[in-house]
Formats: sequence, structure tokens, C-alpha cells
Amino acid sequence: MVESTPRRATRRSFLAGTGAVAAGMTLLPKFGWGAEEKKLNFYNWDTYIGETTLDDFKKASGIEVKMDLFADNDELFAKLKEGNPGYDLIVPTNDYTERMIAANMLIPLDHSKIPNIKNIGKAFLNPAFDPGRKYSLPYMWGTVGIGYRKSRVDGVPDSWKWLYDSSKYAGRIALLASPGTVLQVGCKYKGWPLNEKDPAKLEQVAEMLIKQKPHIKVFAEDNGQDLLLSGEVDLTMEWNGDILQVMAEDKDISYVVPKEGGLLWEDTLAIPTGAPHPDNAHAFINYILDAKVGASIADFIQYATPNSAAKALMSAEYTGNPAIFPSDEVIERCETAIYQGPEYTQLVDRLWTKIGAA
Amino acid sequence: MATPIGPLDYSRRLWVRLTLLVVFVFLYAPIATLIAFSFNDSRRNIVWNGFTLKYYEKAMGNEGLIEAFANSLTIAVISTLVSIVLGALVAVLLWRFRFPAKAGYEGAMALPIVIPEICMGVAMLAFFSRIGWPSDMIWPFNLSAIIIAHVSFSFPFVAVVVRARLEGFNRELAEAAQDLGATEWQVFRDVMIPFLRPGLVAGGMLAFTLSLDDFVITFFTSGPNTVTFPVKVYSMVRFSVTPEVNAASTVLIVVTVVMTAAALWMQHRAGMKAEEAAG
Amino acid sequence: MESWRRNPLVFWVVGLPPTAWLLLFFMVPLALVWVLSFAELRGVVDMEVTGTFANYARALDPLYLQIFGKSFVFAGLTTLVSLIFGFPVALAIVFAPRRWRAVLLLLVILPFWTNLLIRTYALIAVLRTRGFVNFTLEWFWEKADALLALVGLGSLHLLGERFEPLELLYNNTAVVVGLVYVHLPFMVLPLYASLEKLDRSLIEAALDLGASQFRAFATVVVPLALPGIISGAILVFIPALGSFLTPDLLGGTDSQMIANVIERQFKSANDWPFGSALSFLLMYLTFGALALRALYSRRTAGQGRG
Repeated sequence: MVESTPRRATRRSFLAGTGAVAAGMTLLPKFGWGAEEKKLNFYNWDTYIGETTLDDFKKASGIEVKMDLFADNDELFAKLKEGNPGYDLIVPTNDYTERMIAANMLIPLDHSKIPNIKNIGKAFLNPAFDPGRKYSLPYMWGTVGIGYRKSRVDGVPDSWKWLYDSSKYAGRIALLASPGTVLQVGCKYKGWPLNEKDPAKLEQVAEMLIKQKPHIKVFAEDNGQDLLLSGEVDLTMEWNGDILQVMAEDKDISYVVPKEGGLLWEDTLAIPTGAPHPDNAHAFINYILDAKVGASIADFIQYATPNSAAKALMSAEYTGNPAIFPSDEVIERCETAIYQGPEYTQLVDRLWTKIGAA
Repeated sequence: MATPIGPLDYSRRLWVRLTLLVVFVFLYAPIATLIAFSFNDSRRNIVWNGFTLKYYEKAMGNEGLIEAFANSLTIAVISTLVSIVLGALVAVLLWRFRFPAKAGYEGAMALPIVIPEICMGVAMLAFFSRIGWPSDMIWPFNLSAIIIAHVSFSFPFVAVVVRARLEGFNRELAEAAQDLGATEWQVFRDVMIPFLRPGLVAGGMLAFTLSLDDFVITFFTSGPNTVTFPVKVYSMVRFSVTPEVNAASTVLIVVTVVMTAAALWMQHRAGMKAEEAAG
Repeated sequence: MESWRRNPLVFWVVGLPPTAWLLLFFMVPLALVWVLSFAELRGVVDMEVTGTFANYARALDPLYLQIFGKSFVFAGLTTLVSLIFGFPVALAIVFAPRRWRAVLLLLVILPFWTNLLIRTYALIAVLRTRGFVNFTLEWFWEKADALLALVGLGSLHLLGERFEPLELLYNNTAVVVGLVYVHLPFMVLPLYASLEKLDRSLIEAALDLGASQFRAFATVVVPLALPGIISGAILVFIPALGSFLTPDLLGGTDSQMIANVIERQFKSANDWPFGSALSFLLMYLTFGALALRALYSRRTAGQGRG
């Protein structure tokens, strides 16, 4: 497939000073107004789009979408850090969106090209990580909680204690292999804010985890739900959508957000700097935000949509599912992660290394 | 009537055969599982749920997967050929010549083997973006960045294997050929290369394997249009190992087996023809 | 071995292509990263090279040195196990009838043309609690249990109340198994190349002189295969040391290797200078070991063994 993309405008050398970087960021070649070729390079999570969305978009607009996959936010970030290799639309999670905004890696969105913004629920229009939705728009949202096997667990394990601080289910539990998330949720368990920055308090959470380590079977990369399904573990910390997918295959599995609260996340649509087809990207975002399209995507991937117009079209089974749409009371207890700068990231990594080595 | 086991008939000895069996079971049990589960009628592929061919259909129809696969093969073939040449040259150089700072040179040649893959991946990424390597060339030139990176980490491996082979080369053969009037090039071509062939083949197979399976370094040097099979599969598999991935892998195995069998058969034929011609 | 001056044309013709490649497409990129290890973070993505040694100082912290040590142990074990199992395999292939050799070699290589990730997931399917090994063991257990019941000893529960599956996964053993699984052909191939040119008359001579099979093997075959053993050991030890996917997927909470830490620096920790410092420390250490080996072999070669 021969594709000629306009020369990438920005080549950021990691040796350059910040000033030059910021100046270089804003250059974008344009071959006349709106004369982009009809292509779009979409960089997305796996199985995170509707079954026919890309084909339907092509039929509606003539633009062909090529979708590449990445496995986690770190990969996305590392790939784009040294310069955009040609992607037009990406799907970072809220704290990474924040980080990318801080690093001038995203271009501001032209809301006039996205009339379907009106479909988005009020609650999502002005988040702390992107006030006024200048750089991103919400795609899907959800929680991190505990997936468990009903028949092997006493009652409903609605506390993080069973994962963080108890030997009751020793050898039968799994946590996420995500340093930030595990430490943040640990803070919630201790009754502190999710985004607690105090190194002393974080050390305490690390100590707790070191004590708990012999009881933890594994830190699951992204397959906690598979471990649950295969019987390898009986309780796992996981994203709600993943657990939902295995709940469909095994009625013995269920999901709960513990009483101390969990993590609330939001995946966003954003356009990286240096995108060769920003207009097409805007058009695609607008297409996704359409009510019917949004509904069909949500129906296929079974995550919570922030699109109120789409939600109104969904079945009661979907909207009434507490694993997809937690009650307001549950949402109250949860918090969103914020990006806290390189020192925090370094601290988290050092503590994680310490936990692993202990 | 079975012949008695000769003193050098190691391959007929019980302990050798037993180890061979254990090793092969160990190597192939997961492969067998992989192939068996490619027919599993279950999206998550943890528990057996019935026989189906639909994931083969999905894999065959997955354009992105096929393109990635074609890319992987192209890269592997080209980088293997270049690696064999460069690796053989290095091995001969180190075997034949004394020169200043030779130990340092040997150390430098060992670096690509020593370096953590991720470090090399980042280095290649930084290098290519720094010198402004063009990104919008047509196929197969757009794979050049990946091919270059693959050659860089493969040819030292080939050199090590060929070097081990060279240790057993009898210099007198080369000298005799020269006495008989052969030029350097003729000695190399007609005396050394035939001797080196098992080493070159072994080294080449190693380079091919390394290239085909590489993930980390390729990840850092690839872009939207130059996705390779491992990179594609890695991103698909991080969510769950659907049978589609198993199906694609099975197809890959079958294709490589067929290709290698064909290559071996052709070599066998060429060998027989040479024997006929000579005899 | 001749001095390069005796034949400079051949020397340059042979030496220039690989050297130029190594310089341009390896040394230069590496130098870029080396420079990075002396940089500091400035803000979210930028780094400024300040010539600081702070990253190396952090890398020498006992926390990280301990992980280095553990990684060396894992890699060493992997090498040893690969050698123990790889040697008979290489031997079998070399001494097999000619037409079998290519087939056997191919059979050894073939699993490694499967994607590493897939293979590892397949290995997981074999080793896990509800995997093949445990299924097979459970089958045997049930048969044995039934047999005992038949004989009237059922109520004694001699084999335990219930079949306890083996915990083969998510621990350090699994990591070594996985590493051996990945690196075995890198041991077999050099061994094969080296054993193949073995002069069989030497073994026959030893046997004729009255040595037992074992003695002939230990004192003739093994030493003559030494170049192959060393090549194989290097080709296994070093990649095993630097692997992160295998411990990531197969390991338990205790199985962190140095490459996992390095990988995290380039990804979630976003600390490229520190990651570079750790990588270079790893390389200096291994480079040092290799240099020692080169020195040793030069000395023994100088003693007339060449």
C-alpha cells in the first residue's frame, strides 16, 4: 500500500531545550485548505472499536481508516515522544492525556468541526485534566475494582483488604501490574486520597504490599480476567470492561467496586501534534460522537459511554448493568488519577522496584 | 536383525534418545496446544468450547495481519542474507589476521549481543529520528530502518557461529590451494566457503529466527505502515489470546516449514546433480 | 594467524564492510544513548545533557545491585540447564544418519519461528493449574486412587483428599523453564557446528586404548567441543540476562529481572536517562566478563594450545 504522507514537520531531538521544542511544536504543513487525502491513521487499543465502525465511516465519508494497535499508555507515549511517526488520532487515558498536554504533544481541537459535541454528557465537559475539552474528547469511561468468583469467595468481597492486607485468600489473588494504579488504590484503602503525593505515606503503602506479597499469586499484566476465568485466581483487581467480557462466558464471575472506592478512568480521543490528516481526524471524532454510531460501538465493546445521546438509544440491559454504569453512590467513592510530574513517577517506580525485589 | 550399537553411535544410545525425546516433548507440547486451540470455538480461548474453522477465516481475511506477516518475512529474508555476508567477513577477519586493538574490536563486535534489546531499540529510534530518516518511502524501502536494525543485532551472532566453525579449519588446505596458483578470492570461494557452509547455514537460521521473532527493537523502529507480525500480534494478544492469533501463528509455522522443506529439497537436488556431474 | 600488514588489501576488503556497518548503524546510535545517561529530566519529555553522574549513582544503589545479582543467577541457571539438555541433542544430531540431520535440526529450530509471545502463552496453557501437565497428573492420580479404592485402601486417602495441582507457574522455576524454552536452540546450534567437525578417529583411538564410554566422552568429546560450548553459553547467557517478556509473563511477584526494571524506565517511569544508565551498567558488567574471557583464551592460546 503506497502512501505518501507530508513530511513530518517536527523532529524533536531530546537534546534540544524546551523553548525550541515548544516553538517547533506548532508547525504543521498544510497543502491548501482541507485538501487532505482521504486517509486516516488511527492508533487505538485492541478490540476497542465497533465491529463495522471503520467500514461505515468509509462509506459515509470516503475516508479510509487504518487502525494500528497499542497495548498500554506507556507504549503509546514512548512511541510518540520522539516525534509523531504518522498517527492522526490516538486514544490516551485521562492521566496520559494530561501528561501529553503538558508536553505539547496534542493539538487543540477545533470544536466547530465537531458539532456532535452536543451529545456528550454534561459531567464530562469540563474535567480537571483538560478544562473545556480543549485537547481531547471522551470516548469511554469505567472503573477499576475487584473481579471475583462467587463460589470460591465468602459473600461479596467489597473491600480492598482482601487484596492488600489479608491472608484469607492467599495464593488465590492477583493485582494489576501497573505501579501507579496499585499504589494509588492502596492509598484509597488506607483512607487517603488516590493521588496522595507524600513520599512517607506512599512508603507505607509499599510496606503493606511487601508484607502482602507472599499471598499474591501474580501481578497480572492485562490478563487478570483470563486468570479468573481459568481458575488460576479467585479474586483479581481489574478494569470493569475486562471482567464484563468474562462474565459473559462464566456466570460464576462477578464484579464489585470496594467500599473504600476505586479508580475512575476515562479514555479520550486526541490528535497528536504532527498528524498528517488533522481534518480527517476531526471528521472521524465527530462521526464517533454521533448517537447511533456511539451506541453501536458501546454495544459491541461493552464499556460505559459518556455520550448521553448514544446512551439513550441503548438497551435497558446495558444501561442498568451496575458493572458498566455504577450507581452515583459508587462513583462518589471513586477518584480519577491525575498526572503529577516526573518526581512522582520516579518515586512510584522506585517503590515498585522495591516491592518486586523484596 | 538389528546391528549392535557401535562405539560412536551416540544417537542410538538410550540416554541420548531419552533426552532427545524429553526435549522434543518439551519443545512441542506448547506448539501442539497452540495448534489445537486454534480450532477452539471460544473468543477467550481458555477452555475448550467446540471445533470451528472460523478463526482461520478471520485470520486470512485480516488484511492488517497479512500485511504484517509479509513485512516480517521480507525483513527476515533480507536481513538474514546481509547478516550472513557481514558475519562471515567478521569471522574470517578475526580468524586470519592479527591487528592492533584486536581484543577491543572483538569486544565491540560482541556489543550487539550484550546490549539489552530495549536499549538498542531506543538507540535506533533516537538515531533514525535524529538523522531524519525518510518515513514515507514505498515498500519495501520503508522497511529499511527495521532491516538495518535487524542486521545490526544479527550479524554478530552469525559471526560467533561461523567463528566456532572456523576453529577447525586446516590452514594448510588454503596454503596448498595458493601454492597451486589460486588467487585469494578463489581460495575463499572454493576452499573456505564449502568448509564454512554448515556454519553459514546454522548462522543464517539463527539470524532468520532472530529477525522473524524480534519484537522490542522492531517496535521502536516501526511506524504505521511498517508493522511486523510480532508487533501486531503483541498488541492483539495483550487483551486476550483469541484463536485468531493461534490460527495466524499456525499458518506461519506451516508456511515456514514448507519453505524450508522446499529449500532443503532444492539443495538436495543440487547436491545430487553435482555428484552426478562429478562422478 | 598473520599480521594484517602482510596482506592489507584482503584485510581491508574483508574488514571494511562489517566495521563500517557496526560503526554507523550501531555505535553511533549507542553513543546517542550513552550521552543520554548523563542527562537530567526537564519537565515531561525533555532531557538536558548536563554531564551529571546522578543516574549512575542511583543505579549503584543496593536495591538495583541486588536485582542485577538475581538476574545473573537466573541467566546462569538457564545456561546450565540448556547445556545439560542441549549437548545430548546436538550429539544425537551430529551422529545421526546423514539424511536425518537436516530434519532434526529443523525440528529443533521450528518452535522458535513461532512468535515468542504466542509460544509463552502456549507454555502457560501447558503449565497452569488447569493445564496439560496438571490434567495428565490428575488423570494418573485418579487412576491410582481408584486402584487403591479397589484394593480396599480407599478410606485411608493415601494420596490425599483431593488432587493438588502442581504450582508450575508464576514463580521463579517457571521463569527458568521459560528462558530455557526460548534459548535452547542458541545452545544447540553452536554445539552442533562445533561437534560436527569433531575428528571421530580421536574418540575411536581413546576407546581402542581402553577407555570406557564415559571416559572417552568426558575426556575427548567434551573438551574438543569446548569452543562450541563457550559460544553456546555466551549466546544463551547474555540474551537471557536481558530478557523481560519471559519473567513478565511467567514470573510471580518475586521474579523481577534487571531488564524489567530497565524496560519500565523507558516506559511507565519515563526516566530515559536513568534507563540508559542502568543499561550501560549492565553492558559494562557483561563486557567486563567477556573481556576477561578473551584475555584468558589469549593466554592459553599463547601457551601453545591454539
